[in-house]
Amino acid sequence: MITASWICLLLPLAGAIAITLLGTAIPRRTAGFIATASVAGAFVAAVYSFVVMLSRDGADRAQASTAWSWLTAGSLDFGLTIYVDQLAVYMMLIVAGVGALIVGYSIGYMDKVDEERRFFAYMSFFVFSMLLLVEGGNLLMLLAAWGLVGLSSYLLIGFEHERPAAIAAAKKAFIVNALGDATFALALFLLVQKTGTLDYQAVFADAPSLSSTTATLVALGLLGGAVAKSAQLPLHTWLPDAMEGPTPVSALIHAATMVVAGVYLVFRCAPIFEAAPDVQDTAAVLGGVTLVVAGLIALVQTDIKRVIAYSTMSQIGYMFLAVGIGAYATSMFHLLTHAFFKALLFLAAGILIHALAGEQDMRNMGGLRRLMPFTYLAFLVGSLALVGVPPFSGFFSKDPILANALAAGDLGYVLFALAAIGAFLTGLYTFRMVFMTFGGEPSEEVRSRYHPHGGKEGPPSMTLVVGTLAVLAAIAGFLQFVPYWTPVDDFLDPVAEPLVDPTGTMEALASLTAVGLGLAGLLVAWGIYGAKKRSAPRSWRVLQHKLYFDELYDAVFYRPAVATSKALYAVVEGPVIGGSLAGVSGGTTRLANHVRSLQTGAVRTYALALAAGVAVLALVFIGVR
Amino acid sequence: MQGPAVSWYLAIAGFLFTTGALGVLLRRSPLIVLLSLELMLNAANLTLIAFARQHGSLDGQVFALAVMAVAASEVVVGLGLIVAMSRRRMALDTDRLTSLRG
Repeated sequence: MITASWICLLLPLAGAIAITLLGTAIPRRTAGFIATASVAGAFVAAVYSFVVMLSRDGADRAQASTAWSWLTAGSLDFGLTIYVDQLAVYMMLIVAGVGALIVGYSIGYMDKVDEERRFFAYMSFFVFSMLLLVEGGNLLMLLAAWGLVGLSSYLLIGFEHERPAAIAAAKKAFIVNALGDATFALALFLLVQKTGTLDYQAVFADAPSLSSTTATLVALGLLGGAVAKSAQLPLHTWLPDAMEGPTPVSALIHAATMVVAGVYLVFRCAPIFEAAPDVQDTAAVLGGVTLVVAGLIALVQTDIKRVIAYSTMSQIGYMFLAVGIGAYATSMFHLLTHAFFKALLFLAAGILIHALAGEQDMRNMGGLRRLMPFTYLAFLVGSLALVGVPPFSGFFSKDPILANALAAGDLGYVLFALAAIGAFLTGLYTFRMVFMTFGGEPSEEVRSRYHPHGGKEGPPSMTLVVGTLAVLAAIAGFLQFVPYWTPVDDFLDPVAEPLVDPTGTMEALASLTAVGLGLAGLLVAWGIYGAKKRSAPRSWRVLQHKLYFDELYDAVFYRPAVATSKALYAVVEGPVIGGSLAGVSGGTTRLANHVRSLQTGAVRTYALALAAGVAVLALVFIGVR
Repeated sequence: MQGPAVSWYLAIAGFLFTTGALGVLLRRSPLIVLLSLELMLNAANLTLIAFARQHGSLDGQVFALAVMAVAASEVVVGLGLIVAMSRRRMALDTDRLTSLRG
């Protein structure tokens, strides 16, 4: 099993290296096939690991394997270790599985794009980073993978490097993520100082004995990393801008990989967070607030990919809420279904963006239902799953989160209210998007723009993947139906026991609320956008400015930094540093000019100087003696 | 040791050296400057030999031989330069020969 896990980890890396080294020796298309094959191979290896793990007893399921000692410093010794337990395998399946589908889809989407090979090398590398993140055997490797994921997302978001907006978005994502990396690293420093190790088992064994201050600080640092990576408030601003990347990148970042890393981290480090209950509550509250705020902002976005991006923030808010109250497995199940329906939404949106020659503004769409029935159907399935309408997958995974919130005490009621508002908003913004894009009759402009490439609505590699994801998004929910059958919970609970246990009444109440509010949102959206093409209600300025977060950060961080730099330039750089350098060089020049006048070239002058010198020396010798 | 005391040799050497030094400092013709240089070298040689005889050691004589060899090569180079300069009809005046390239 552990060998298969190593293969799963290293195959995408090998794919990335192979594509890079082969360079122009292979045709462009082959690069896509190599990347797809390597990620698909990783998925097969993950499935094998999973099957072997299932055949073992509970206690034997977790395994660690060290390739070699990576870093030794004094009594510290960090191995290049992978640690495969139920949680790691679960994540490997999602990352490699959804990743393989998305990379395969990219073959069609990126066809005839310049630098296709570079794209596929990055994609493979991204999947490798994410697999390293979930398989890493100690917190140091987790941190390293954390950074690698940030790096590869930077490379992919800025893939279209000739567009300034893409470069700006890539830098923004990188800087915000680096902020999270920094707090993460600080937490690890503190942890090393207090416990002397970063191995999962050793640290988690020590976690309950840490002083509450230490535990809180460590947990806060980890939470900072998780919040930045998962685009939760207040470090969420990079995610919508990351839509500048190609659509498969958005799908890969938002569905299967990067953004769920924060949820994984909180789950993985559950013992630390349980030692700092305040921080865990903070995570839940941040998730609750994010899911409402993101839902509100999504209501007024006009770019189809940005709506989906905000819905991702919102859904990850649900997952954060769940891990924050200790409903770990529940959150992971939502992560799984979310990976399916969010990848589906992105990739379906990708098909229609592709067919409309890059148009992303929903105001210029409409009526696509007639032109692209297949994409419409797939998108509809994804939307219904997102809203949580039974029997689509979102229903089975989102409602238990609300039920767990109900069971989580006083704070839980607040969180439940937030999650319920979120459910209504989800229905509203999702179907606003659906009606704006697909509803009504296609206008002349849309008809003239509509040019599908290859196949009926898109190349077969794209439609095939979207079809697969549509089926998965529709049926994956039946994997677990709380409280009747709970295989996911049973599988994951040994990693970290849930802290809440909702009753059947709560489950029923939560389901009724969520489905009712979701459908209400859907109906409101239909009333406004669906029945007939009506102009949107006057949108709130505040929402259109995304609650002024960008402006706030601009005013608080960017402008003072620029002002300080300018002041330093005027006061320090100019007079002190520049002045001293000019003084040194000017002084040398003046001195040299004086010395030059001594160099007359007249031999007799030199002879006189020589003789005078000897005379002085002679006098000195005589005088000293 | 026979002959005059070493101080006599030193006196003559000092006189020769002063004459040479004054010649180098005061005369402007390169030929005379070269000549005066030789005079100074020979003054130094004389002191070397004188002390060598006083101490009865050969060291000073060996030095004097070395100085003569250096002086000979110096004359070759110096005279060569002077001949070359006069062939180019340059003024043979050290005060006017102040730059390396005409």
